[in-house]
Amino acid sequence: MKQWIRWSGLTAFVVVAALLAVFFLFAAGPLMKWGIEYFGSRAAGAKVDAENVSLSFSPLGVRVDNLTVADAEKPMQNLLEFERADAQLAIGPLLLGKAIIEDLRVDGLKFSTARSVDGTLEQDAKEPVTEDNIENDKSQDSLLSGVELPTAEEILAREQLHTETAGKAFREAYAKHRGSVESTMESIPDGSALSRYENEIKALTSGRFESIEDFKARKAKLDELKKQFRNDKQAIAEARKAISEARSELALRLKELKAAPAWDMDSIRSKYQLTAEGAANLSALLFGSEAGEWAEQALYWYDKVQPYLDSGEEASEDVAYVREGSFIHFPTDNPWPDFLLRNAQLSASTVRGDLMIFVENVTHQPDVLGKPAHVVVNGAGLEDIEDLTLDAVLDHRKKPGTDTLTLSVKDWTVRSMKLGVAGAELQKAVAQVQGLAVVTEGNVNAQADMQFSQTEFSTQGKTTLARELGSALKGIRKFDVRAGARGKLTSPALEFGSDLDRQISAAFSQRMKARQNELEQKLSLAINQRLNEYLGGSAQDLQRLNEMDGSLSDKLDQLSSLGETKLEDYQAQKEREAKEKADRKEAELKAKRDAEKAELERKKKEAADKAREKLKNLF
Amino acid sequence: MLTMLAKLLKALNSESAPWQVALAFSMSLIVALTPMFSLHNLLVLLLAFVIRVNLSAFFLGVAAFSLLAMVIDPLSVQLGASLLAQPGLQDFWTELYQSDFWRMTAFNHTLVLGGLLLSLLAFIPVFVLSRLLIVMYRQRLLNWISRLKVVQVLKAGKFYNLYKSLAE
Repeated sequence: MKQWIRWSGLTAFVVVAALLAVFFLFAAGPLMKWGIEYFGSRAAGAKVDAENVSLSFSPLGVRVDNLTVADAEKPMQNLLEFERADAQLAIGPLLLGKAIIEDLRVDGLKFSTARSVDGTLEQDAKEPVTEDNIENDKSQDSLLSGVELPTAEEILAREQLHTETAGKAFREAYAKHRGSVESTMESIPDGSALSRYENEIKALTSGRFESIEDFKARKAKLDELKKQFRNDKQAIAEARKAISEARSELALRLKELKAAPAWDMDSIRSKYQLTAEGAANLSALLFGSEAGEWAEQALYWYDKVQPYLDSGEEASEDVAYVREGSFIHFPTDNPWPDFLLRNAQLSASTVRGDLMIFVENVTHQPDVLGKPAHVVVNGAGLEDIEDLTLDAVLDHRKKPGTDTLTLSVKDWTVRSMKLGVAGAELQKAVAQVQGLAVVTEGNVNAQADMQFSQTEFSTQGKTTLARELGSALKGIRKFDVRAGARGKLTSPALEFGSDLDRQISAAFSQRMKARQNELEQKLSLAINQRLNEYLGGSAQDLQRLNEMDGSLSDKLDQLSSLGETKLEDYQAQKEREAKEKADRKEAELKAKRDAEKAELERKKKEAADKAREKLKNLF
Repeated sequence: MLTMLAKLLKALNSESAPWQVALAFSMSLIVALTPMFSLHNLLVLLLAFVIRVNLSAFFLGVAAFSLLAMVIDPLSVQLGASLLAQPGLQDFWTELYQSDFWRMTAFNHTLVLGGLLLSLLAFIPVFVLSRLLIVMYRQRLLNWISRLKVVQVLKAGKFYNLYKSLAE
């Protein structure tokens, strides 16, 4: 037996194991700190700092002290920070590389706290994020940007106007065709050239041929002229073609340009809800901006968490037989996904008071765990809120996943909420809120009901509207608001409805209509100004093209007529002359005969007259 | 690497008993054909250190059989997957799965199960065959190899000096 056992080997094994344990005892903390900061920063897009990370062995756990996560959009602000987090890990799964956190407790969690140092990551620090940038981004991305009524200048600066696009297209088309038309027009004969052609043709075709050589010389000249005519006609045809193309395209572009302002107005009107129905929606104005901020915050956190909730693996039976192999899972009460946060309890401090957050079963392999993730936020005795409960069930066990969020707010004391019109303000009210939101495949279907009671309104304006609104609001002691969001999670269609609308809509809609008309007039004026900039001289340009085409048509007729001129040949001229001579002789003979005949007739008549005179004298 | 090769040659030539080298090869087969960081490999490593097997042969065997594993692994994965999917074994696997200890062995990993099974099946044949080859090497080939010119040239080189220094 002695020769089989190597005691030195056993000692070496024990020593190596002990050294490894010591190494992990001292190095694991810094290594984990580095890991949290490095991978956390990459995930958050901003600096993640932990003051200290330590490892404990009994029970196996990790403790993180004073962790801060900077806000990527506001580098001088923390997205969140906490004082202390204790996590208990399961040893068995850890040996298989599976991080199962049995219990996590986070104390002193705070959101949106100020930072003393810039939280921008070094590689991202190229463009400083300013407040202006943030505001600009918000104004562009805000879910509810359509609810506010921006000025005409803001809208025109923000929108890509169809008028601009059509105007640029018209200008480009004009510039393109102008060059081609001008180049073809250069080879067209002008008026003096045509007169010269006529004179030359007249000189060639008038007078008699003196000899056969004279005839040949004239014919050669005439042929040369006809060749020139053909070339000119070809040039005219090309010019007319270029003009025709230019005219048809420019006419089309002009038609589009003239129609663009109306299209822009329709588009802006629908987008910015300048319709009477949209403008009169007092509820949207009441809660629009706040609801938008809440929705954006909720979406921000949902976007961060949601990718980690989907199972990255297909079902076990579909696993390809890859070289690395894979785990096959069997039914159990205690499944081991690669990562699991089984229980977590977070105590958070907010400006309205302390919140308790309970989290269960968070994993990226919910199909392995067989349970949905569950988050409950409780706030009792908050400032202005008696009780707040938010319950979220994130069920991604099967695709598509379904996330359900339930919200309940009890006795929320609402103070100083501006109505956004005529200085009217909801000074005080007590609200009860119940909400339900379901998100599936990136689509949200949410509904919230709010009951406001013990309402007190005030108006500060001196206008007739303010007085009317004040008197209308004075009699209102309670009202309901229903808010809904449907459609794509990133751009849902929001609906607000309230019986408050009905109560004061008459007074309110009048003011909104006036504002709408004023805004539409300004918009229309500005768009038409832009249209005129593009249209300037375009009608004259088209008229000029038409005139050019008409002039070319005349020239073409003239050249065709000139080109048809023929020169008779020398033999024909001789024959014609002989015929003319014979005709002349025959005419002379005929004239002579006619004269003789007339003389004979005259003599006959005279003889008859004389005979008749003699006969009269006889009686 | 040269040191390890020299040590292996030393072991092959006379220092270690044939079973020590053969057992090292057989044990290294288990480590090579299954994922390195597994509970059973920790046990194999402990045994390799405690039992008087030739450690140079063990580590060289791990390196050599790891090359072989690159070819065999897909087969191991298929074998493991088919065993874990066997309807007749489902109750057995499910029962094992309820135990933390057995789950720590990663028995439900296709490569672990398939590779372990293949290496255990090959354990005895590899042991017997390698022991036989070592004995044959020492009886017949050692003298013949020593007489080869190429070996004599090598003996004049650095590697042989290293081998000698270890042998002394």
